[in-house]
Amino acid sequence: MNVAGIITLLRHAWARHRIPLIPIALAVGLFEFLLTRLAPLPDEVNWLANLMAVIPQDLRALAGNDVAVTAGGFLALGYGHPFFMVLMSVWIIRTSTAAVAGEVGLGTMDLLASRPVPRWHFVAAGMKTIALGLALIVASAWTGTAIGLHLRPLDVPASDYLPLAAGAWLMFAAWGSVALLISATRRDGGQAIGWSTALLAASFVLEYLGRLWPAISALRPVSLFRYYEVQSILASGLPRTSILVFGVTIIGGVLLSILAIQRRDL
Amino acid sequence: MDAALVTTGLGKRYGAVTALDGLSLRVESGEVFGFLGPNGAGKTTTIRLLLGLLRPSAGTAEVLGQPAGAAGTATRSDLGYLPGELALWPGFSGWHTLRFLERLTERPAVDRHQLLDQLNLSDADLQRPVRTYSDGMKQKLGIVQALQCRPRLAFLDEPTKGLDPLVQQSFYTILTGARAHGTTVFFSSHILSEVERVCDRVAILRGGRLVAAGTMDSVLGARRRHVRATFTAPIDVSALASFGEILSHAAASVEMLVPRGDVAALVRQLSALPLNDLTVEPTSLEDAFLEHYR
Repeated sequence: MNVAGIITLLRHAWARHRIPLIPIALAVGLFEFLLTRLAPLPDEVNWLANLMAVIPQDLRALAGNDVAVTAGGFLALGYGHPFFMVLMSVWIIRTSTAAVAGEVGLGTMDLLASRPVPRWHFVAAGMKTIALGLALIVASAWTGTAIGLHLRPLDVPASDYLPLAAGAWLMFAAWGSVALLISATRRDGGQAIGWSTALLAASFVLEYLGRLWPAISALRPVSLFRYYEVQSILASGLPRTSILVFGVTIIGGVLLSILAIQRRDL
Repeated sequence: MDAALVTTGLGKRYGAVTALDGLSLRVESGEVFGFLGPNGAGKTTTIRLLLGLLRPSAGTAEVLGQPAGAAGTATRSDLGYLPGELALWPGFSGWHTLRFLERLTERPAVDRHQLLDQLNLSDADLQRPVRTYSDGMKQKLGIVQALQCRPRLAFLDEPTKGLDPLVQQSFYTILTGARAHGTTVFFSSHILSEVERVCDRVAILRGGRLVAAGTMDSVLGARRRHVRATFTAPIDVSALASFGEILSHAAASVEMLVPRGDVAALVRQLSALPLNDLTVEPTSLEDAFLEHYR
């Protein structure tokens, strides 16, 4: 295996994506930090309980039906908040799209693929870019939480949020491999962005509606979001089922992406 | 002589559309090979098949002794490629682009500085993002990236597109230098004069099919002769029709295309007529090219 080729492609990806990555990571870290400023102190949780009681069931489902009315539960919401989710999604869609479909659509794949680079290197480098970027973003998120808890002790150890950060990394890495598969089969970056965004949004809506309507709750396991429930991860760690589902999705997505790129015209 | 590339029955279909049909070609090491054809003839498809960017629908191709495609990945460190529709990363500087592509090629860019000098690309130019480049500057950068690592075989698809005449002259000098280093050049173009100027052999594609291939001399030799005759009195032109194609005629003049082997017989026939003036010229490469498309 020619590691130098993958490293060169990783440096190429870093050069292309470093400018958005740093603001995304900082924004997520700042967001988690701000939540520690807003979280109720242990003797202030009643207002949160009252607030949750008046929130309609539909909105409570969005946040997670099992929201713990505690400072710890409040902070966990930050790891499932749409702001966090959207920024993580922006990263994976941007990098997965650029890895194959973006280069093909731009026309630059001709310069890359005419070099002594096996096609699977584009997938491997793409997945590594996704994973490393996600690691930086979730590390920033957890650091924001940890710094916030250090400055404003809430009787919640920051280490409780490591499983959430790991879960977020795993789930979005799984989404990244799915988006990479889409990218490996498309000829244009716009198409890949469209399909990936639609799939992510549909999956999120399915999980959300599945919580509300028992009639479609049987479909919830189809959605990867089903396996990332922040309150239950906070309470009892990352379930093995989630690790298994995300792991299989990552490996399957990467293998299928390699198969797709080997069989296609560039 | 070793073959730099060999194709046998190479074909590419896109659904019902045949982009390339049964191309069998051999390019020898060290030669500059011209690949002619109008837009859509299959030139770019051929190059992309040889580089393994496309998967063939039929036939085989060998590049530097290795199968084109995934099996020949390692061979691609010996190749240079200038795409016909060159695209570069807009945010990268010229330097970054050249260094990145050098690293991917896994060969040192031994000729980079000389090429930059010849194409008049300065350090200040290369510091700027590619998005600020004119089309001509992008094409120059494309030529440098294709040849900087002194490839054994270079595929240049419409290399002079967007270059002004002065830079075109520099490019021809670069080709001469590349040939002196032993680089085989596979040169696609529809600018016939430059092909005539720089290529040892040519192939002509039409509608995805090879219609002619050979040395410049053989292609020139195969061309019909352009005959113009004027007479001191009106003649019966129909008496000349059996010698070739009459392009135009008047009462006392005629312009014809005549196969080279029939020129002597035509001259004998003309000598029996009230001939005033006669010119016999080889047709230009343009004419020969167009003949394949009649």
